[in-house]
Parts: sequence; structure tokens; C-alpha cells
Amino acid sequence: MIDAQQLFASQQEKEWIELAKNGDRHAFQQLYQLHIGKVYGLCLRMLAQRDQAEDVAQEVFVQVWLKLKNFRGDSKFSTWLHSVATNTVLSHLRKQKNWMQRMFSIEDTHISEPTVNEHPELSDLDKTILKLPEKARLVFVMFAVEGYRHEEIASMLNMAVGSSKSHYHRAKKLLQEWL
Amino acid sequence: MKETINEQQLQQRIDDLSAEIQPQRDLWQGIERAIEIKSQVQPASEPRASNGNIVRANFQPLAWAASIVLAVILTFNYQSRPEQAPQLTAVEMIEQQYLQEKQNMLVSFGKPNLDTLPDDIRQQFDEIQSARESLLTALEDDPQNADLLNLLKWTQKQELNLLEQLYSPKWQTI
Repeated sequence: MIDAQQLFASQQEKEWIELAKNGDRHAFQQLYQLHIGKVYGLCLRMLAQRDQAEDVAQEVFVQVWLKLKNFRGDSKFSTWLHSVATNTVLSHLRKQKNWMQRMFSIEDTHISEPTVNEHPELSDLDKTILKLPEKARLVFVMFAVEGYRHEEIASMLNMAVGSSKSHYHRAKKLLQEWL
Repeated sequence: MKETINEQQLQQRIDDLSAEIQPQRDLWQGIERAIEIKSQVQPASEPRASNGNIVRANFQPLAWAASIVLAVILTFNYQSRPEQAPQLTAVEMIEQQYLQEKQNMLVSFGKPNLDTLPDDIRQQFDEIQSARESLLTALEDDPQNADLLNLLKWTQKQELNLLEQLYSPKWQTI
């Protein structure tokens, strides 16, 4: 029964993808409804700011709309979407950092406190993840929550594999202390 | 150092994490609007990797200004109200206040000639100016939008901060 439901959902999603590829915005809206929770979750956990997470989640779907014709179905749509979302978040962080550095000539900036209180429904772990230092948080979310390998994370964050492992270790220790 | 939970307990909590977090507002309208605008101005090609990843070869000079504009487009749900006459009172007040503050600041710095600034600094001013103009245009359609107004104030503040960094004595001594 569950398999049948999954099959139907999968078929339905494929139809929406094909329709959206041909410019059907209603079909694309259905895809948005289906995946916004996961995309926003990724954005919020990586950015730790509600406003930024909302903006970037929107940008992800705009990027998906623009690039949907490139999706050939070799992988699952959710996997492809996940990759677009991760890259959009990292691109956002790079742009933001670049601008902050140029404006204020500083190496790194913690822009503001994470907006934990704006999401009272979050689990204790999620609330604590949002309080982690940026790099430790990014590595932790990408490795422990999103399932990337350290080699992939190192490449995406432009750091050594050992640094990725080190940030992950630090994040785990902080979480164990804070939880 | 005493740890409150061990690794196994942490892993259990990670496994229990919900894959989804729902945003607190509907983001669709902003996406739809952005799609509409993007499809009108989309360049012929955009660099991308074969796996669909977004590729940025280098930081574009106008990227930050563009990102503000994009943020404006994405963040705010434009409600088209063609019958509504534009009411720029709040915008005008904010602009007047900003121009006054800028003028006072320039006077206090001895009215420096901004045209003689190095190119990279001039470029920063131009980018801020461009972002400000985009916001003013967006506010013509939605003059009461508090988020847009806040973004306008923030953009103005960036220009004033830049001026202060350039000409304030405390910065000059660094």
C-alpha cells in the first residue's frame, strides 16, 4: 500500500517536473509545496538566520526554475534540488562575506545573533545547531544532517579535509556541552 | 570538561531530526514574482558545471548591489495595486533625512570632492547608489512596505558609513 502511494507520488512529481520544464508555473508551485520544507530546513540550519534563510530558499527555487531544463532525471529530483540548494547557500555566504570584507576590511564577520526565538517549534538540537560558529555549523550540517562526505565538504568550503573533520569534531563537542 | 550527553545520544538526536522545517511565511509569491522578472532579463547563458552546480568564476563588480536588488525582488511579495496613487511620503521623509545627514557629514569633513576618489571607492559608491535607486523604484509600487523602507535605510546607512570610514579623523589615523 505504501509502495503504491510512493509510486503514485513519484509519478505525480515527474509529471509536475515535465510540466514545469514547459513553463507551467502551477506545476512548479506543486513542486515548491512538496520540497519547501526540506529546502528551507537546509537554508535555516546552514545560515542560522530566518530572514536570510527565507531569501535564499526563494532564490533556490528561482534557480531551479531557470535550470530545470538541465535536469534530465539521471538522479532523483530531490537530490538535484538539494545540490542546487547547497550551492545557492554557499554562493550567498561567499557574496555576503566578500561584500563585508570590502566594506569593512575584515576577515570574518558574525553578522548577528541566530534567530532561534523566531522558530519556537525547532527541536533543542536544531536550536543549538543555530548557535554554533559559522564554519563548525556549516560542516556539521553538511556532514551529519545532509550526508556529505568530508572530501565533498572540503571542496565546497575551500578547506582541507582535515579542517572539515576538525570543525565537525568541534561542533560535536560544543553540541554535547550545550545540550 | 563534563559533557552532558555522549556521542551515542547526540547521534540519536541527529537521527531524530526532522528533515523539514516549514518557513513561517509563504515564500511562493516572491518566487513567482522573481521568476516573472528573471525570465524577462535572463542573460543568454550563465556559467554552470555539468552537474548543474552554480559556478561563479569571479566576483562581479555589481554583484552585491545586484544581490540587494534580487533580495528586494525575492523578499517582498509585490501586491499590484494599479488603482492606488503613489504615496511617497515615508520614502521622501527617509530620503530627506538621509540627504540632510549626508550633507552635514560632508560639511563636517570639509566638503571633500567625491569625484577625486580612487576608482574602487567610487565604484562602491556607485553600487550603493544603484541599489538605492532600485529600492526607490520598488517603493514606487509599494510605498508602505516596511521591509523595503528598512532596506532603503540600511542602504543609506552603508553609504554614510563608507563616508565616515573615508573621511572621519579616527579612520584617517589608522
